[in-house]
Order: sequence, then C-alpha cells, then structure tokens
Amino acid sequence: MELFLQQVVNGLMIGSTYAVVALGFSLVFSVMRVVNMAHPEFFMVGAFGAYLTITYVTRNILGVLVGGMAAALVVGLAVERLAIRPVRGRYVMIPFIATSGVSIALQHTAERIFGSDPVLVPPVMASVSYNVGSLSVTRMQLVTFGIAAALMLALRYYVRSTKWGRATRAVAERPDVAAAFGVDVNLVSRLTIGISALMAGAAGVTIGLLYTSAWAFMGLLFGLKSFVCMLVAGNRHIEGVMVIGLLLGVLEALVSGYVTSTLRDAVAFGVLVVVLVFKPKGLFGSYDV
Amino acid sequence: MSTLLKVTGLEVMYGSVPAVGGVALEVPAGQIRAILGANGAGKSSTIKAILGLVKARGSVEFQGRAIQGLPTHRIHRLGIAWVPEGRQLFSTLTVHENLEMGAFARGHGARFGAKLDEVFTLFPRLRERRAQVAGSLSGGEQQMLAIARALMAEPTLLLMDEPSLGLAPKVVQRLFEQIQEINASGLSILMVEQNARQALKIAHYAYLLEVGRLVGEGPSSELQASEHVRRVYLGG
Repeated sequence: MELFLQQVVNGLMIGSTYAVVALGFSLVFSVMRVVNMAHPEFFMVGAFGAYLTITYVTRNILGVLVGGMAAALVVGLAVERLAIRPVRGRYVMIPFIATSGVSIALQHTAERIFGSDPVLVPPVMASVSYNVGSLSVTRMQLVTFGIAAALMLALRYYVRSTKWGRATRAVAERPDVAAAFGVDVNLVSRLTIGISALMAGAAGVTIGLLYTSAWAFMGLLFGLKSFVCMLVAGNRHIEGVMVIGLLLGVLEALVSGYVTSTLRDAVAFGVLVVVLVFKPKGLFGSYDV
Repeated sequence: MSTLLKVTGLEVMYGSVPAVGGVALEVPAGQIRAILGANGAGKSSTIKAILGLVKARGSVEFQGRAIQGLPTHRIHRLGIAWVPEGRQLFSTLTVHENLEMGAFARGHGARFGAKLDEVFTLFPRLRERRAQVAGSLSGGEQQMLAIARALMAEPTLLLMDEPSLGLAPKVVQRLFEQIQEINASGLSILMVEQNARQALKIAHYAYLLEVGRLVGEGPSSELQASEHVRRVYLGG
C-alpha cells in the first residue's frame, strides 16, 4: 500500500507534465488540423533555455521559467511562420512531414550547439523532501506539479471563459463560419501555436530541473508519449487530455514499481493500441481531419 | 433608393468546373431579394463568393466599396452577416456562446444585452435554451439560432442560405414571417431559396439562376405571374 501510494504520487508529478505537452499538441491540431511534429522540440528548447538562463542570467526559479518559455515561444513562432503557414490547409500529411523535418533539424542544431550528451542543468533550489507519513515528495516535484497545474487551469480558463478562447473553439469547429463572424483565423492560429509553445517550454524547464539534465533528443520519447495521450483522450475536450496525461504518469509509475522499470516506456504505446482498437477517435472524441 | 450590394460579372470555378458564370445582381437598402434555383444552380457559391469564402472573379461592391479579395473577417466587419446553409452552428458551444460569437466583431459592450433581449423577443425558445449546447437543439430551433447569431452582429446586410431547408411546413411559415419582421426593422436581406413559393411571397424582387447563369429576374409579383416561373419553380 505504501509503495502504491508513493508511486501514484510520483506518477501524478510526471503525468502533469505529459498533460501540459499533450495539450499543446491537441490544441494546435484542433484549431489548425496540423499534427505539429516539431512540438516536442519546443519542450527541448525550453529545457536548454533553462540551462542557458541558469548559466548566464539567474538562478531564480521564476526567471528560469520565463527564460525557457521565451526561448520556446520564439522557436514556436518561427516554426509557424516557416513550416506551417506555407503548407496549411493542404492534405494533413504535408504539414506533418514539413514539421517532422523541422523537428529533426532542431534536434541536430541543438546537438551541434550543446553536444550529443546531456548537459547538466544545475539545481536552482535546495533538494528538500517533505514527508507525510511514509510518503515522500521532493520540493522540485511539487514545483513541477504546481507549474503544470497552474498552466492547465490557466489554459482551461482561457479556452472556456474568454472571448478569444471562445473564438478558438469556434475556429476548431468551423473556421469558415468563424471567419464570417469577424474572427481572424490566422491570428487565432498564431495565438494557439504561441500558447502551445509556451506550455511545452515550461514543461521542458521543469523536466530539465527535475532530472537536472537537458539533451538534444529529450523531446523524442517525451513528445511521443504526450502525442499518445492526445490520441488516447481524443482532441475534442481539453479536460480529457489532462486526465489521460495524469493517468499515463500514474500507470507508468505503477509499472516501474510493481513490474519492472524497463517496461515503463512501453506502457503508453500498449495503452494506445488497445484504446484505438475499440475507440478510434479516442476516449472522449476527436475533431475530424 | 441606395444600392447596398452590387455584384457584376461574378464567376466561381471549382477546379475546371464553372459553378457560377457571370452573375450580376443588386440589393437596394431595405429590400428582401431572393435568388431562386434548383440544387446545384450556383446559389450557395454566389453567397460564398460575396463573403470571400471561395475564390471568384468579377466585382463585388458593398456600400460603394469594392470588397472582392478582402479576407472574410474584414468583409464581415463592414456589416455583412451570414446565415449559412444547414445552419452550421458552433454545435459544441452553448446557445449563449453562439450568440456571443455572433457579436464577436462588435464586442461585449452595453449594446450586447439590448441586442440579446431583442433576439430573445423574436425567438423566445432560445431564451429558454440559452445554457444548452447548440448541437442538442431541434432543427427549427437551430435555424432560429443561426438567424439570431447573425442578428447579434447588427449587420446592414443579411445573407441567408436556404433558411427553410429541412424544416416542417408549419415552421417554415412562421420562419418566413419572422424574416419579414427582421426586414421591417430595417435590415436588407439577400436570400437563397429552393422554396420559391414562400420566397416570392416575402421578397420584393428575385433572380432566377439555372446552372450558374441568370435566366431571369424581376419583381416578385411579375415572377409569380410568369408562365415559365410557375412551371419550373412553383411546380405548375
């Protein structure tokens, strides 16, 4: 029972970050019908942004967060301009391939700059653990979860309760009609990519700090798992993506705790296969391509 | 009488297939004008071309200003609202949110509440259902919402595409009365309809479209009396 609870807690901490990255994937797909394969690199750029901020600017956690998010935003808007806008509205595979190319280019650019081995991200806070009964949580885990939770609540508020969030949902469903009511669809698309990049960047910062490392290829597996979260949940409801992200984290932690940690990375893909067989549009439904 | 909308030489191609070939029409301020024709006659394409939703050649002037080539969201902001064919509501948004989207370009100012009251007076059912998701409304209620959403924009010109499609005859009757009320309140309307009988009852003037070309036009009373119109559009 103690192991179970501990692994659930550990799983929620990491799962919250899966959810944050998956939400960006999902939001961009819903609004633009583009599978942005460069999205995981926004996460990687966020981690290196944190590394650079700590090395050259500040160790203040908020400063580091802003640094990582800003780096991801700049790269995100550039990717939108150079690789997504020119091929939007075409058959869904074309932006998929264009952004896959960008993804590979970004990975190898990072490898050129930072080397092919992970770099050490120096810790920005004392490694303190909090114990509740037999449960133990580190301060960095709590910060990771807190940042992810804040981002998810902010996104939910934006999408559900603001004028531009409402317009974003309208564009996701019927871009032509939204335009005919005065919504600048291109502006909404740029906003959406920007938000997705900011969120992935923040996730990269927290994961970089949590594992004290940043690596040119760190987006690959993490991004793939987040992508799986979106497919399993379906992209119609952001709450669905949040829940599945958290559940994946918990499930992985339980498999590492009770079975073997070498199977951990297989969990997401096993779940994906099973869900897609029975629910091809995901558990909570998806927009059509 | 000032001309609100003036379309000349409008051509729409889908690939190499012409959908609209050289249509010319006008909507004077204060009138209801109808475009009549069978399925595939190019009626919807004409509306979409005016809104900038499909590529078109020719000239479209609104209040004396050339608008062809402008992006759709800017055309809307000049005062043109659309009731699309098949409603095309934001079905995952609530009734209230759909109405807020209607007023997107206007913003949420003091007039929003007054306008909301106005459309709820016209369509009381919508007030009862305001918190409901639009996709859960009946066909008639959805059509009301599609019209109400467009009215929220406080347009100068309303483009209505097949407002009667898929509705029960009794509902259609009431709907056309409401369209007349809307027009009486000062809004000009260009309407596309397959239901020529009903449309001619409320329109001041109508255009006859056959396979993308105008084959006739005139005041509704004249068209109702025409032998050709009776045979082809009114079913004898």
